[in-house]
Order: sequence, then structure tokens, then C-alpha cells
Amino acid sequence: MNTRLPLLLLPAAVFVLGIYAWPTLLLLRNAFNEVGPTGAMIPAWSLATLRDVFADGFTLELTRNSLLLSASATALALLLAYPLSLFLFRTNSRWRGPLAVVAILPMLVSGVVRVFGWLAILGDRGLVNSVLQSVGLISAPLKLVFNWTGVTIGLTESIMPYMTLALLAGFGRLDRTLEEAARSLGASPWRGFLRVTLPLSLPAIALAGGLGFVLSMSAYITPKLLGGGRVFVLATEIFEQATTNTNWPVSAVLAIYTLVLLLALLALAQLASRALAR
Amino acid sequence: MLTRRIALRTGLAALAAPAIARAQKVGGEITLMAYSGIFQDNYTKAVIEPFIAANPGVKVNFTSAGTSAQMVGTIRAQKADPQVDVAIMDVTTSTIGNIEGLFDKLSESEFPVLNELSPEARAAGGAFGPAVTFDHLVLAQDSALKPQLTKLADLWRPDLKGLLAISAPPNIQGLALTAMVEKMEGGDYRKSIDAAIRRLRELAPSVNTFEPNPDGYALILNGVVKVATAWNARTQLVADQSAGRVVPLLPPEGSVFQINTINLVAGAKNRAAGAAFLAYALSQPAQKAFTERMFYAPTNARAQIAPAAMARTATAPDIRARMIPVDWNDILKMRDQWNNRWRREVIAAAR
Amino acid sequence: MTGYLELTGLHKRYGESIAVHDVSLAIGKGEAVALLGPSGCGKTTTLRMLAGLVDPDRGTIRVDGADITRLPAHRRNMGYVFQSYALFPHLSVARNIGFGLEERGVARGDITRRVGDALALVHLAGLERRRPRELSGGQQQRVALARALVVHPSVLLLDESLSNLDAKLRDAMRHEIRSIQKSLDITTLFVTHDQVEALTMCDRIAVMHRGRIAQIGTPEDIYERPAARFVAEFVGRANALAATRDGGGIRIWGAAQPMNDPGWPSFDILIRPQRMRLLPSAEPTGDAMRVEGRVLRRAFVGDRVEVLVEGPGGQLTVELPSGGTLPEEGTAIAVAWRPQDNLIFPPDAA
Repeated sequence: MNTRLPLLLLPAAVFVLGIYAWPTLLLLRNAFNEVGPTGAMIPAWSLATLRDVFADGFTLELTRNSLLLSASATALALLLAYPLSLFLFRTNSRWRGPLAVVAILPMLVSGVVRVFGWLAILGDRGLVNSVLQSVGLISAPLKLVFNWTGVTIGLTESIMPYMTLALLAGFGRLDRTLEEAARSLGASPWRGFLRVTLPLSLPAIALAGGLGFVLSMSAYITPKLLGGGRVFVLATEIFEQATTNTNWPVSAVLAIYTLVLLLALLALAQLASRALAR
Repeated sequence: MLTRRIALRTGLAALAAPAIARAQKVGGEITLMAYSGIFQDNYTKAVIEPFIAANPGVKVNFTSAGTSAQMVGTIRAQKADPQVDVAIMDVTTSTIGNIEGLFDKLSESEFPVLNELSPEARAAGGAFGPAVTFDHLVLAQDSALKPQLTKLADLWRPDLKGLLAISAPPNIQGLALTAMVEKMEGGDYRKSIDAAIRRLRELAPSVNTFEPNPDGYALILNGVVKVATAWNARTQLVADQSAGRVVPLLPPEGSVFQINTINLVAGAKNRAAGAAFLAYALSQPAQKAFTERMFYAPTNARAQIAPAAMARTATAPDIRARMIPVDWNDILKMRDQWNNRWRREVIAAAR
Repeated sequence: MTGYLELTGLHKRYGESIAVHDVSLAIGKGEAVALLGPSGCGKTTTLRMLAGLVDPDRGTIRVDGADITRLPAHRRNMGYVFQSYALFPHLSVARNIGFGLEERGVARGDITRRVGDALALVHLAGLERRRPRELSGGQQQRVALARALVVHPSVLLLDESLSNLDAKLRDAMRHEIRSIQKSLDITTLFVTHDQVEALTMCDRIAVMHRGRIAQIGTPEDIYERPAARFVAEFVGRANALAATRDGGGIRIWGAAQPMNDPGWPSFDILIRPQRMRLLPSAEPTGDAMRVEGRVLRRAFVGDRVEVLVEGPGGQLTVELPSGGTLPEEGTAIAVAWRPQDNLIFPPDAA
């Protein structure tokens, strides 16, 4: 039996190597090429592109933007997804099924479609501004899209379903009886939440937060379409360099840099989750 | 068995253009890579279908990869085993392909039609694939906007705050606009773009989006913006399709040509048929048909374009006079620098 | 009815089903009462209403005269020991036990002292820093008990608290909990489906059946004088023998019986197996109740022997102390018992 196991893993291994490892190696190779003055790629084994990318202050700005945007979207999504997941985890209501579907529905819709939905809601003449203006709360439309705000809102929505699922999966240790025990010992519902429910769900929060952060870091469509060309993050720059500038080496260096950054962040999230689960 | 039919067609084709006569011996399949959407629709009707009618043995597959940069990237990735025979793309990216050896050089002996092209069209590709269409940057505006824009400087009108869609670099519309604004300020983009950047910085707060999606026309038709940077040909088409809702303005301060070249992929699977198609695409009938259908200016100087269509392209003498001579190779070398200045000085001012 | 803890007309329904049906109960200060019944009888719901974890539809709960029916759970000052113990897995034993004291704002030093006392009370001194998962089931049970007691609750509520322990440990804990309860003189309500637990740990037992209290009484009352056939059959074991009316007399398995006619056309007589005796067929029994049959099977159960007897009306079990001589299987035999051991219920009283 033991000798068969590696054989069974072979298809998966071939798949991962072919679909992931090989293209990643090709990507790695591009990072060492050079770029001519008009954008032509010159095959080389050179660290020039690497040096240029990290000497450029814009790389730091991209990193900062990506981290900040991901952190705010993740925090917002957590604030929204946590109560929702807690409710879904506990309720016996007949609304549980429909609500759970609604919660993960955005996952099933194309990102582009969702983004255009947000444009219709958040645009200068969109739903939010129309309502606020018609009730006289504002005189000029609020700038809710084509800027940082729009991207944050869009990202928050796009990662929420994944985080909801991650939270639901991570709520394993939550037990209604523990909250009842806290109440029987004199803790109000809020105190019980703070002292029992919240600490016990910290591993789930770390897991969902890590996932949301990584998804935000690698999100491309949302910052691209809702950013109005004003929100520069690593993912959009990688794409822009490859598809508008034809600059594969820079794109490859940034992609590898982002990959390393994400792996480090995932490892951190894993460590945090494990430490919190103790 | 086929001889009689070929003879008949040879007679007809010989009257139209020598290029067709040369193409008739070819067969098999070729793959053409070019822009999708309305370009594909119109190019199929105006050029591909007549070509197939003249060459029943050839099947033309149309494919696209998105932007010009994505197209040259695809061809670069297939260098060892090319899947594309002919590619139409922006000159800034075909130049990269020429340097990287992705495309074949074209000789006048093999392609006599090259002699019919305008000097600018030949110059665009050098020894490689020449220009197949000319286009130029315009301002697309909502016909409901009162008063209508009449010049580039009108973009700075205070009533347009938040109503502009400006494609920023590295998009070539942004590069073209930079050259145009520098010219408007009396400068020369080859020396400095300081004046342009200063003016664009003032414009930034008026900009709704620096990255119009899906495109500027859609934003105008949806009422999101009133004015968008745009290419003339598509704007002319959208103007017709929207019953005049979108109006193109060629700024009197001058505009910049956008050039699409047609290229024969090095090591193409079906070079003979690919070459025949390339020659046909540059021929007078193809150039005439496509210009009259989509308002790209022809690159074949001998193409006889209907005056109504001609007036809507940059071939019209009065329009041509306003064009700023731009060498895209110069701009390419400055592209990253311009891009950085836009990001740090222009777009940052709009946040 | 007055008492330290008083439930009056407590009622709870879930949709169509009535979980608790007008339950009234009065428990004296320091008294231990068991709510005994099969699963689904409403005993746990009753306990949860007392703790404030379930809102009653109607009825009142009073503790020491004060109406706490609408008081939220965290302000009721009741000690609740959950079936699963519900120890907080992320807190040490000491923090678990001190949880209620912390919530009550007790000074840190006092908490440490009282937690220490509580641990000593349940014989777990020295385990303060352990996490619950590092404890055995019995130790967890003790921590849960200490946690509930350390806050000096007005009432101690135990929900099937011994059911997760193995048989031997359960015996030990039974006695320990009972002695702690007595020494602290704390009013206690147990929920259990285990009659041995109910009989040995409590001053009184309330047997619940289908949301109602079928009978309240001392263990002896419940066992010897069940008020309903359900109680007789749920607490202890009983043979049910069909009795028929024949003229003025009563017959069981065809044999005339020396007893008065209660006036019902047919009914069952219930008799505890250990109240019956076996004797040779021929031997007279005087004025005792008696049926005839043959020995079908004998089962040795250690300190006693169960003999299954088959007769014309069915089967019955006789329980005898082990060590005596037993009739062979297949032997014709007489079964006799005293008329005062008959447990007779009207036919419609389930």
C-alpha cells in the first residue's frame, strides 16, 4: 500500500509542476533579461532590472499602497463578515440556507460584472449619490469611485465571501454552551463575547484575515477598474508593465517580489493562527 | 477542373490589382492577429471577406490577445512555434517585434504594393511591415454639452470639473496627449514636457478617471463623463451608431497620428498565404473599403476614397496640416520617464 | 406551596410541541431535588428556564421570595454545571474557576484565595495552571463544579452532570457531590435520566413525563408508592400482569386472586420482581397472590438471580438473592406475592 501512494500523487505532482512550477520558472527567467531603449527584450543573465526596480522609489510606494489597501479592505471585510459568519454558524433559522448563499454569491459572479455593479452604485450619478442628493444631505456628489475609496469598497466586497467561508470553517471551537456558561457565571452577553467567543475565534480571524489579505494583495480587476487610474498597487503594475509597456523583465521582477511578499505574509498568518489556537 | 474558374477570376482580379493576381495560387489556413470588437467586425467585412472571395482556397482565422502589447507578447511567447501568420498592431509594439526578430522584413520585389504606400506608411515600419491604418487622437464629447468644446485648451474649462475621462500613460493616448499639450504650450516634446506636465497637473482635478473602462465612449453614453480622449476612427463610428450623441473634435492645436502596422510573423506556418493577405490588406480596394467603413485613414496613397469618408479621416488635407510630426520611436525611449512624471506630478494632484 | 425556590405554572412550547407544561415545584433551602425522566420529558428545558437560558412562555420563578422570571441569566446568581462541563478551553483551571468572581468584580487577592479553597473542596489543589484539555473527565467535572460553587450561588443546577463519566467514577462523584451539597447546605436541582442518581443523591425526586411532573416525593415514595403507572415503570422495574374480572372476583393468568374488585373491566397489576417469590407448584400460599407457570430461563447477575417464568398469560421476571437453590429450567412452578405489593392504576392513567 505504501508503495502505491507516491504513484497516486503523480498526476497531482505533474499537474502542479506543469501548471504552476514551470511557468513560474519561465517567469523567473524573464526577470534576468534586459530591456532595450524602445522596449525590446534582450535575452541576458543580468541583475540590472532587479536593481532598477528596487532603486525606483515607486516600488516602495506600490508596496505601501498594496499593504495599506489590503489591510484596510481586510479589516473592513472582517468587521462585516465576522458578525455574519457568527450568525450563520449559530442560527437554526430557516433563513440560514438562503443567507449563506447570498453571503457567498459574489464568488460566483465575475469580478468584472461586480465592479460595474459598484460603478452603478457608487458613481457620481449612482445610487448612493442620487439618494443622498435627493434627500438633501449633500449638494455635490461624493467621490466614491475611481479613487482609493472605491477600490477599498470593491475589494472589501470581493474578499468577504472567502473570509466568511474561512471564518465558518475556523469556528470549530466555538460552542454555544461556553457562552451560556459565561452567562451563568455572571457575564453579560457582551462580556461573554469579549471573554469567550472572541478569544476562541481568534484562530478563525487570523485564518480569514490572512486569506483576505493575500486575496487583496493579488487582486487586479478591482483596483484596475474602480481605481480610475489613481490607485497604483503591485498587481496592477505587474499587469501594466506586461500588457501596456511590454516590459516583461520589470513585470517578472515585481511578480516574484509580490510572490515572496505573499508567501512571507501567509507564513506569518499561519504562525499567528497556530499560536492563537493553543 | 479548376483551371477555368481560376482563369476567369484571374481576368477580373488582374483588372483590380496585381497583388490579387499574385495571391491566387495560395491555399490553406492563416491566422490573423488584430484588435477584437468593432475592429474585428469591420475588418472582417471590409477586408477579410473580399480576400477570401478572391482566394477560395484560403481560410482566415481571426484572433486577438487584447492590447497591442499583449499581441506582441503572445507572438514573443510563440517564437519557437508561431501560431500567427499576420499581425496588425500599434507601431510602438511592432517596433519591439521588429527588433526582437519576431517579424519578417518585406521587400519591394515580393510586395510591389509597397510602392503604392505613402512615405509615412513606409517609414513607420522601416524594412519591416508598413503602416496599414492611420488614426489620430481626438476629443470625444457629449453632444449635449453646451457650449461644445472647440479646442484642446477648452479641456481646462471650470464647468468640466469631474467630467473628463483621460487615458493616462503608459496608454499611448496619454503619450499622444502629452505631446499635444506641450505643442499647445508652444513647446516641443522632444526637448521637454515640463509645460505639458504643469498644465496637465492643473487639469487633474477635473479628471473623473485616468483609466476609462470599458472605454471613454461608454462613459459618455452612460452620462458618467462629458469628454474623453479617443481615437478618431472609433469615435466616428460611435458617432454614427449613437445617432450623433458622441461628437469627435480634432483640436485645432494639433493632434498625433496613431499608426497600426501589418506584419508578417517570422517563421509563419503558411507564409505564402500570409504574404498574399498582407499584400491584399495594403492594396487599394482593401484600403478604400476599410476607410469608408471605419474611417481609419488609408496608407495606400493611390486608394480612391469617397470624399465623405475622406473628410472624416486624417487624410483630408486641412486635417493633415494640423498633425504634429511625432516619431513614436522617440516617445518610446521617453515613455517610462513620462509615465513616472504623470504618476507623481499629474495623477497625484488629482487624489 | 412555599419554598426557597418556587416554580409556578412554568410553561414552554416550541412550535407545536409543548416542552414544559405548567410545571410547579417548591424546593426548600438546602434541599436537593432531582428532575427525573426520559429524554424529551422537559426536565432540561425546566432547568434552563431556571438558569435564564430559556424564556418561559408563562409562569414564575422565585428565589427566596424574589421574582426572577424576567431577570437575564447573568444576574440570577445560579451555579450551573453543564453536561459537557463547558470549561473554557483557552483559560487555565484557575481562570475558569475564577471567571464568575472576576465578573462580579471580586478583588484579585480574594479571587486567588477563593479559587484555592474551591479547588481544595473538589480535591484538585495544585492544578491551577492546567488547561482543561490536560485534565481527565472526572477532574473536568470537579472543575466545573468548583466553578459553579465558588460564586456562592443561591441555587446549584446540575444538568446530567455525571453522564459522561464511567460507571465507577460516577459512583464516587455521586457521593462526593452529595456530601459537598450537604456540607454547603446549598439548594440544588439535578436533572437526570438515571434513577440511581436520582434515588441516591436527592432528598426528593420530581418525575417528569411529557412536560408535566408526574409525581413528587421522597425516593421511597416514588419507588414504593408510584402515583402513576409511568412512574412505577420508569423508576425501578415492574412486571405488568393483565387482570380480568370474573363474576365478583379477579383472575390473573386464569387463577382466581384474593383481592378486591376495583370496579374496572380490565386492568394491569404491576409487581416489582424482587417482591415475588417462587415455590413448588403444589405448595399452598394462603391469602397471597399467586400464578402458575414454568421456569423458562435463569440469569445469574452476581448478587442476584433473575428467573423468567412463562405462564398462560405471558412472562414475568422474579428476582431472588443469589446463593439459594434454584428450580431447573422447565420445572412447573408457582409465583406468589403479597397483595399489598400490588401496584394498581386506573386503566386510563398512563
